[in-house]
Amino acid sequence: MRQRATRDPKPTPAGRVPVLTTAVLLLCGLLAGCGASADGAAGGKIELQFSWWGNADRAEVTNEAVELFERRNPDIEVQTSFSSYNSYIQKLATQAAGGNAPDVMQLDYRQISQYASAGLLLDLDEQSAISTGNVTSAMLRTGQSSGEQYAIPMGRTSQVMVYDSARWQRAGVAEPEYGWTWQDWSRAMRELGEATDRTGATDPGWSEDWFEVWLRGRGKGLYTDSGKLNYDAADLAEFWRTTNELSQQGAVSPARQTTQIDGSAANMPFGRGNALSGFTWDSAVGGFQALIGDSLRLAPLPVGPDGTPGQYFKPSMLIGVSANSPHPEAASKLVDFLINDPRAGEILGVSRGLPVNRTIRENITPTLTGLDKRIAEFQESLDGKLLAPPSAPPQGDLALQTAFQRDYDHVGFELQSPRRTAEQFLTNARSELQR
Amino acid sequence: MNVEAPDQQVSPPRGRPDSESAAADSATARNRPRRREGAAWVFLSPWLLGAAVLTLTPMLVSLYLSFTQYDLFTAPEWVGLDNYVHMFTSDPRYWRSALNTLIYVLVAVPLQLAVALAVALALNSIGRGKGFYRSAFYAPSLLGASMSIALVWRALFNDGGTVDDMLSTFGIDMGGWVNQPGWALLVVALLTIWQFGAPMVIFLAGLQQVPNELYEAAEVDGAGRMRRFLSVTLPMLSPVLFFNLVLQTIQAFQVFTPAFTVSGGRGGPADSTLFYTLYLYDRGFTASHMGYASAMAWVLLVVIGIVTALLFRSSRSWVFYNDKG
Repeated sequence: MRQRATRDPKPTPAGRVPVLTTAVLLLCGLLAGCGASADGAAGGKIELQFSWWGNADRAEVTNEAVELFERRNPDIEVQTSFSSYNSYIQKLATQAAGGNAPDVMQLDYRQISQYASAGLLLDLDEQSAISTGNVTSAMLRTGQSSGEQYAIPMGRTSQVMVYDSARWQRAGVAEPEYGWTWQDWSRAMRELGEATDRTGATDPGWSEDWFEVWLRGRGKGLYTDSGKLNYDAADLAEFWRTTNELSQQGAVSPARQTTQIDGSAANMPFGRGNALSGFTWDSAVGGFQALIGDSLRLAPLPVGPDGTPGQYFKPSMLIGVSANSPHPEAASKLVDFLINDPRAGEILGVSRGLPVNRTIRENITPTLTGLDKRIAEFQESLDGKLLAPPSAPPQGDLALQTAFQRDYDHVGFELQSPRRTAEQFLTNARSELQR
Repeated sequence: MNVEAPDQQVSPPRGRPDSESAAADSATARNRPRRREGAAWVFLSPWLLGAAVLTLTPMLVSLYLSFTQYDLFTAPEWVGLDNYVHMFTSDPRYWRSALNTLIYVLVAVPLQLAVALAVALALNSIGRGKGFYRSAFYAPSLLGASMSIALVWRALFNDGGTVDDMLSTFGIDMGGWVNQPGWALLVVALLTIWQFGAPMVIFLAGLQQVPNELYEAAEVDGAGRMRRFLSVTLPMLSPVLFFNLVLQTIQAFQVFTPAFTVSGGRGGPADSTLFYTLYLYDRGFTASHMGYASAMAWVLLVVIGIVTALLFRSSRSWVFYNDKG
């Protein structure tokens, strides 16, 4: 009865029309909002999405290279987008989870195994458009997961110690050169701490990166090739005990400065002028140059007791193709262009680190000036000396990186002994890696 | 919903009309509210659609995810109550974050309300320049919602920051506040307390509702300033106080932005500003344990629900509603 009553109205037309119109208008609005981005091909052209992280300078040269690519391939249109590292990583994860990853994407070393094992990346071995003849096999291996090539490294970077040479000289401390050991480093730090009103260095105990170099110098490493932990609590406790003792002695930065480190050069004790040196990646040296000035020098990291070098050449970033891309050939063409095309190499320069492509690297090295030139010379001085880079770290390492700095706070503020903190870190690490 | 109720009760007897005209009459009578109701639904539809698609669905999905292990990349895997069990039995950092949040709520909320009330009382008695002072005191809460003020806060209380510099001229050398485990939480709480604008405005409105004759009567009875505040202002203001308390408590439990920014996203130093939501974010977005993060979110929802219910229960004994008496 009720139902019929409602369907049996005598509507005053004037009353109904606005309601219907409003409903239709609202719906149109909704549909229009959703429909705008649905189409993949614009005017019969293949449309590719390409995104990366980086600053405006990198975006400018990348877009210039992409324009050249579009001129050479009139049937392909490339939509580019970029953002800062942290938001890029999160956005990409969300896109990938929803099956909407961009066709071509810049990837971090630590993402490869996760993305590859989830089937999100295209196996590039099967893409004939991509040639990798000019990239060393050790470097290529960093883009592999279970033997398949899922990503190609774009640039290479290495760990480096940056220091203020003027102040080192004034303090009468010998400047470092390749082959100095961790013991030499500790001694230099103590001397600097005593001779100046600053500390010798940013305390390296905060980062897994520097622990890794220390470990590799002792013939170990963070992970085995199968992604298991390759060190034990005793190793970590010894590392932390050493760095923390130096911190207590005023040889490296105190905990209340070390805890402020957030990755930016400006918040490093060295960048802030509280310390006289610091470890970093050579791709990040520019930030320190701006703060320290012309007396900034680059030196290799210390080696192990028997001379084993701990630092290595790491891909500063890699490039891969989404497994869901509707245009894998076009996407592969773009990847090949970015890695191998000589003109693209000239445009891109060292915006992504020194290119891994040997020919391109040799082509552009003479054109470099200033800091870029010094970084290139620094890398050249290490060529042939370093051991092969480790395989891509396992899924879960991202969480451990932040846990490492967090837990070192407990050592630095003397809330827990290095030994106990190391054990806790490893318990946590095992469960992160298992999940 | 209220519109429909009378219609349901009335329509069955009228559904069997005796004459044509009565039927037509009742049809129009029924039809009018019903059509209006239809229009209401149409106009509500954007909001309803938003609520269903953007709030309700994600909530239900997260409830499901809380019983799974889900890393965003591979399909969620059902693990039953594992997430909840792990959270309560073998995750010390979880308890650390819960404790930090509790301390924060207990410190920041009462202090913020006290400051808001004090400033509201002061502003209420000002005659000239009322508008200016109100805006000036309200401004921090407009700024406070943004990341930038948290960054400024961090710079102010940092090692070598403004506050540090000022204090060192008096011979107090702290070496920074946000970078020391004992102080960081208080600095974050201070940022919240400083943003007392919203409760202050509500207090001001409440103060203006207090009838003047009550004060006059109290004065006649020889009540001093303090007496008048305790016996007139506070009871009359208690509903507003209660409203502010509930709102600020719920907000404080969900504190995220200031701690995230001040501690550089880590909840440091040494986990001292690791709030519940910060740890939730860390689990979900840094460690990709979306299932665990979802479980944490649901526990937070339940706890906030319980705390709010307790506040409502306690209100019976201290909130005074004028209209009842």
